[in-house]
Amino acid sequence: MSEKLRIYLQPTPVRIWHWLNAFGIITLCVTGVQIRFPEHIVIFDSYRSAILLHNTAGLVVAVSFSLWFFYYGIVARSMAKLYVPTVKDLQTGIVRQMKFYFLTYFLGWKNPHHATPKDKFNPMQKSAYLAIMFVLVPLVSLTGITLTNVAFLRDFVVMVGGLKILMNIHFILASSLCAFLFTHIYLATLGQTFFAYFKPMLTGWEEVEDDHHHEHSAP
Amino acid sequence: MHPDTIRKYIGLGLFLICLLCPAFAIGMESEDCLDCHTDTDTVGDDFFVEMAPFNNSAHADVGCVSCHETVSEDHPNDGNVPSRADCLDCHDDVGEEYAHTAHAENASCNDCHNPHMVRGATAVSGHAMNQMCSDCHDGDEVAESHAEWLPQASLHIAMLPCISCHTASEDLVTSLFIIKKKDAEDGSLELASHEELKALAGDGNVQALVDTNEDDYISLAELRMFNRNPANKTVQLQGMMMPEEVSHSIETLDNRWDCSFCHASGPEAMQTSYLSLAQPDGSFKRVPAERGAVLDALFGTPDFYMVGATRSKTMNYIGLAIISGGLVLPVGHGSLRFLTRKNRRKSED
Ligand code: HEC
Ligand code: HEC
Ligand code: HEC
Ligand code: HEC
Ligand code: HEC
Ligand code: HEC
Repeated sequence: MSEKLRIYLQPTPVRIWHWLNAFGIITLCVTGVQIRFPEHIVIFDSYRSAILLHNTAGLVVAVSFSLWFFYYGIVARSMAKLYVPTVKDLQTGIVRQMKFYFLTYFLGWKNPHHATPKDKFNPMQKSAYLAIMFVLVPLVSLTGITLTNVAFLRDFVVMVGGLKILMNIHFILASSLCAFLFTHIYLATLGQTFFAYFKPMLTGWEEVEDDHHHEHSAP
Repeated sequence: MHPDTIRKYIGLGLFLICLLCPAFAIGMESEDCLDCHTDTDTVGDDFFVEMAPFNNSAHADVGCVSCHETVSEDHPNDGNVPSRADCLDCHDDVGEEYAHTAHAENASCNDCHNPHMVRGATAVSGHAMNQMCSDCHDGDEVAESHAEWLPQASLHIAMLPCISCHTASEDLVTSLFIIKKKDAEDGSLELASHEELKALAGDGNVQALVDTNEDDYISLAELRMFNRNPANKTVQLQGMMMPEEVSHSIETLDNRWDCSFCHASGPEAMQTSYLSLAQPDGSFKRVPAERGAVLDALFGTPDFYMVGATRSKTMNYIGLAIISGGLVLPVGHGSLRFLTRKNRRKSED
């Protein structure tokens, strides 16, 4: 057995942000289903509590998104480095990562990417998170906020093409976010052990085997 | 009772009244009464009766004397105070229904209705119906007390006459009213009057603003044209959920407290809609719209959507497909992962 190395991967603000988002988005999905299909799906005893919870969770996610943006974009100034795929990522990184997930993983090989605080995400994660955090979440929040202030934001609603169009955009984006959630949680179990990737999100620390595999982290 | 039967009975009743009371006010026609009563110099503000609204009201044919039976030839110089008919003389079914409610102690027929301006429910705007209530129930206070449990309370109250929630009528239809910005600065909206619509129509037929081919039927294409026409940017269509039949059981019903009374009734209930157009006499005319007009995403109106109730079926399937797509990886990859678990155990050793 190789020696264990502990690295501080997820600073506290990031962890708080992540779990706020996680509970927020799950709440939004669950209440959203009841709001759309009240006669079939009744999870909360009343429609009104589903709506109030949905609006509150939506606000929490929107605020936590803003905090995240503020933290990485302005305080840590590492947003571009962490989230925007490099040319190299696009040319070879994604293919290599795909090869791992869909082929060599089954053969028992190790993940070619290793997370470090400066290089947290593998090229596939970068691309996915870029789409999620810069397109899906802001748009779904924006449409949601508009839907709770339709009278005030009418000009914007009309520009989009009306409430029903806005609603459909919100719904499709939300469905995509929900679909991502399944994939995200599943991929998080692909660490060396089932829960290996969950730990750093809870404690901040990741335990890494300090063997030669580590060299892969910064190829 | 069917209105026609009511009318027959009332007609008969009036005939009998005329037979039985020949002594009173012979020859005094409504027009004679109105000669004086539309002139504030003669009768003062307190006894003023507006001419046009009366003549266009459902009571025009009833006539002043039927309700003010004891008015004499010498009126107003006889010193008598003319009698006032009790609404129940002619509307006993409504009266009976209302008398059973607790609200009957709080408001009489006349508190809500001006007997000189009454109209059938389909000729009255939702805004005017709420006006009846707001004499006693201050709009801001109602919005505030309802906001305690009703999400988007002001929006609800703007889009729903109080009686849609506070009476037993369950058949709700959507009426589209043409509303306009009160003034450019504050965004508040009010009903566009007939004159304003006329100005918008370039002094043409007001109905042709929406019903372009004037066939007394609003098609989706006509709605789209109205919504897209840049000349109409000062106005918009507001869908209000109106009871198709008015009930007077004014109360707080448990099922309206349950949002899914409206928000789950599904598209079927939303199929019937009308355009309600302001007429010169202040009443409203309903023009039927194409089935499902308010449900249509592109054409109906950009301002109408009810969560739960007006959802689109196609979108449900697209959403389901997307969410199922998210399950492909966990299920597919997960199965392969299970089958190849030995490989990984080997490499760990
Ligand atoms: C010649 C003018 C004139 C005509 C015609 C006339 N009224 Fe009047 N009416 C008056 C005036 C003036 C008063 C106010 C009397 C007062 O101050 O007591 C009045 C008062 C009334 C009142 C309220 C009385 C009260 O004190 O509450 C009623 C009801 C009324 N009129 C009904 C009628 C009806 C119905 C007719 C037609 C059959 C009619 N009037 C025709 C002048 C007229
Ligand atoms: C359907 C019955 C009905 C008819 C028709 C009717 N009235 Fe009245 N009128 C009433 C009632 C009821 C009141 C008492 C209203 C109140 O107490 O608020 C009243 C009140 C009045 C008053 C007192 C002032 C007021 O507005 O309260 C005047 C004046 C009057 N009527 C004149 C007329 C004239 C003139 C006509 C015909 C043009 C007429 N009414 C037709 C039922 C009627
Ligand atoms: C003398 C009989 C009579 C009296 C008294 C009377 N009404 Fe009427 N009312 C009628 C008639 C007749 C109609 C027309 C019915 C129709 O067109 O179907 C009518 C119609 C109405 C309508 C419109 C309904 C519709 O379907 O068009 C309202 C609202 C109304 N009355 C309210 C009242 C109120 C409130 C009172 C008491 C102040 C009252 N009426 C007193 C005879 C009367
Ligand atoms: C709390 C307010 C209120 C009271 C009190 C009230 N009404 Fe009404 N009534 C309404 C409203 C709102 C409508 C629908 C709009 C309209 O037609 O004016 C209506 C409609 C009507 C109609 C027409 C119904 C139809 O199907 O077109 C009649 C008739 C009527 N009322 C008679 C009465 C009589 C008689 C009384 C007294 C027993 C009475 N109302 C008391 C609010 C009230
Ligand atoms: C003449 C004044 C008056 C008018 C007009 C009036 N109300 Fe009321 N209403 C009252 C009073 C007084 C109460 C009892 C005190 C309270 O709850 O505010 C009351 C109570 C109520 C309540 C509570 C009753 C309950 O069982 O919880 C409702 C609901 C209501 N009104 C609805 C309406 C509606 C809807 C209209 C218009 C169609 C209307 N009212 C018009 C005076 C009025
Ligand atoms: C969406 C349906 C809905 C609409 C629209 C609505 N109400 Fe209510 N209202 C209710 C319900 C449900 C309650 C009971 C709330 C409770 O028990 O706390 C209520 C309670 C009330 C009460 C008694 C408690 C209080 O808040 O004072 C009054 C009075 C009242 N409504 C008047 C009105 C008036 C006036 C309007 C129109 C301006 C109106 N409501 C519109 C559903 C509605």
